[in-house]
Amino acid sequence: MDWRRHSVLGRLAGAVARRFGALLLTVLAAAFLSAALMRLAPGYGMDERQLDPRLSEDSIAAVRARDDPGLVSGFAGYLGGLARGEWGNSISLQRPVRELMAERAGLTVRTVGAGLGLAWTLALALSLLLERLHRRAPDVAATLVTGGMLCLPAAVVALLFLHLGAAPAFALAVILFPRIFRYVRNILAASAQRPHVLAAQARGLGGVRLLWRHVSIPAAPELLALVGVSVSMAVGAAIPVEALCDSPGVGQLVWQSAMARDAPVLMHLTVVVALVTSAANVFSDAARAVVAREA
Amino acid sequence: MRRAARIVLAAIFVLMLGANVFAPYGYERQFREEAAAPPTRAHPLGTDAVGRDRFSRLLYGGRISILLAPAAALVSVAIALLAGLSAALLGAAWARVVSAAIDLFLSLPWLFLLLAVRGLLPLNVSPGVSISVTFALLGLLGWPGPARVMMAAAGRQSRSDYVLLARAGGESGWRVAVRHILPNLAPITLAQFWTTAPAFLLTEANLSLLGLGISEPMPSWGNLLRELQNVAALPREPALLVPLLLLVATLSCCQLARAADEVSI
Repeated sequence: MDWRRHSVLGRLAGAVARRFGALLLTVLAAAFLSAALMRLAPGYGMDERQLDPRLSEDSIAAVRARDDPGLVSGFAGYLGGLARGEWGNSISLQRPVRELMAERAGLTVRTVGAGLGLAWTLALALSLLLERLHRRAPDVAATLVTGGMLCLPAAVVALLFLHLGAAPAFALAVILFPRIFRYVRNILAASAQRPHVLAAQARGLGGVRLLWRHVSIPAAPELLALVGVSVSMAVGAAIPVEALCDSPGVGQLVWQSAMARDAPVLMHLTVVVALVTSAANVFSDAARAVVAREA
Repeated sequence: MRRAARIVLAAIFVLMLGANVFAPYGYERQFREEAAAPPTRAHPLGTDAVGRDRFSRLLYGGRISILLAPAAALVSVAIALLAGLSAALLGAAWARVVSAAIDLFLSLPWLFLLLAVRGLLPLNVSPGVSISVTFALLGLLGWPGPARVMMAAAGRQSRSDYVLLARAGGESGWRVAVRHILPNLAPITLAQFWTTAPAFLLTEANLSLLGLGISEPMPSWGNLLRELQNVAALPREPALLVPLLLLVATLSCCQLARAADEVSI
């Protein structure tokens, strides 16, 4: 049993290692893309100090004439700084970006983790229950309710939970649940339509064992692939939730930096977010490949 | 169900497009002596904190959201279609490039990217520019999801027997694409449009609620929802919920219409 577990972990590590190059390239490309997009934005390079009436003509000219190294060399300099561990300073908060990230990351990880865990638990439980019941009415009711939830902007859900005084993780769970449920339900429904399941049902087999061994386990690779996608969804949803629920995490920092046009923070956050979402996708993809091979 | 959803959508569309006709006042007009007034015959949904008629702003705001979200969705779906078709026709190397570009864009939550780029707009940007930039960004950043679907569908079509026959008959790649593959992709393209347009309506609402969407005094459904930040006032002023209800009704009808399209594919 032990050798078998080691073998699975080894395969998982191998699968992750094989995808590591792609992960690195994706993060680099995402950083370059965000640098290019920010540079193309109409307000890039504009310094609010140019509007300050207290500054002299010479000072404003000096602000305007700040050296602009250009996209490629600027990006190369940025990567060099990253390699040396220099993340620069936030323009609006006047503090090192690294310090800001370090003090806020823990809260966001906890919020996103709890929200994702709750949403996945609810989605899996409801999907399995519906598959077990195999009735049209509850299925239609669940589709209508989750469809209605999908029509609510994430920011409105965050406001509602702020009013209720509930933790931001619950708001995140309510935002993520309908999205995850739709995918999980479709994956399990497709798995339940496979010939061997239909044949087993025709012979009178059924119940929890059929649902677990012949419907859920064969659907595991697809469900694992969905885990990676759901991390990306959760990171996106964390921005309005943390901003509006006044939760001092990374999501709130993104919003504050966007409001304050704090390009250095936004640039670093882009790299971190790309790294987290890409890593989640790589792990879930590697796990999917290993589980599919085991099955 | 599909017909009912489409009728409701058409009614909302007509009402918003005819904002000049149906709205009693302009969206900017202020009634300073009636600021934050409850609903009356003159102001069916009351007035906001600076005395503007909420009903008129709802109609004008709806016109902006309901015209520009589908326009941005058209841009996204057109880019996705071009990416999918080119990947199917220009060989495996180009398909890998397109696939890598899709993965790259999908690796970043697009609300994050939108916030980052939208946040760098100058402070003195005019409402017209903020509208154009917001929806242009939605259109330009929203293509990867639909492109993945289009790429798979175009790939399947390009490997089918009728395409092989057309190629054997001497038709060029792009002629095959335009005459044969494109018509067969129409249902999927339509389904992607129905998926993308409501997603853009929601994203605009989220951006505006965060203060990074369409700037005042121009109304949109998103920035009208900002009044919901005063949740405590809701029991006193239920009219504040009307923009949210209209947004939910529109998105639900889009979902129903889309579900019907998906069934018919």
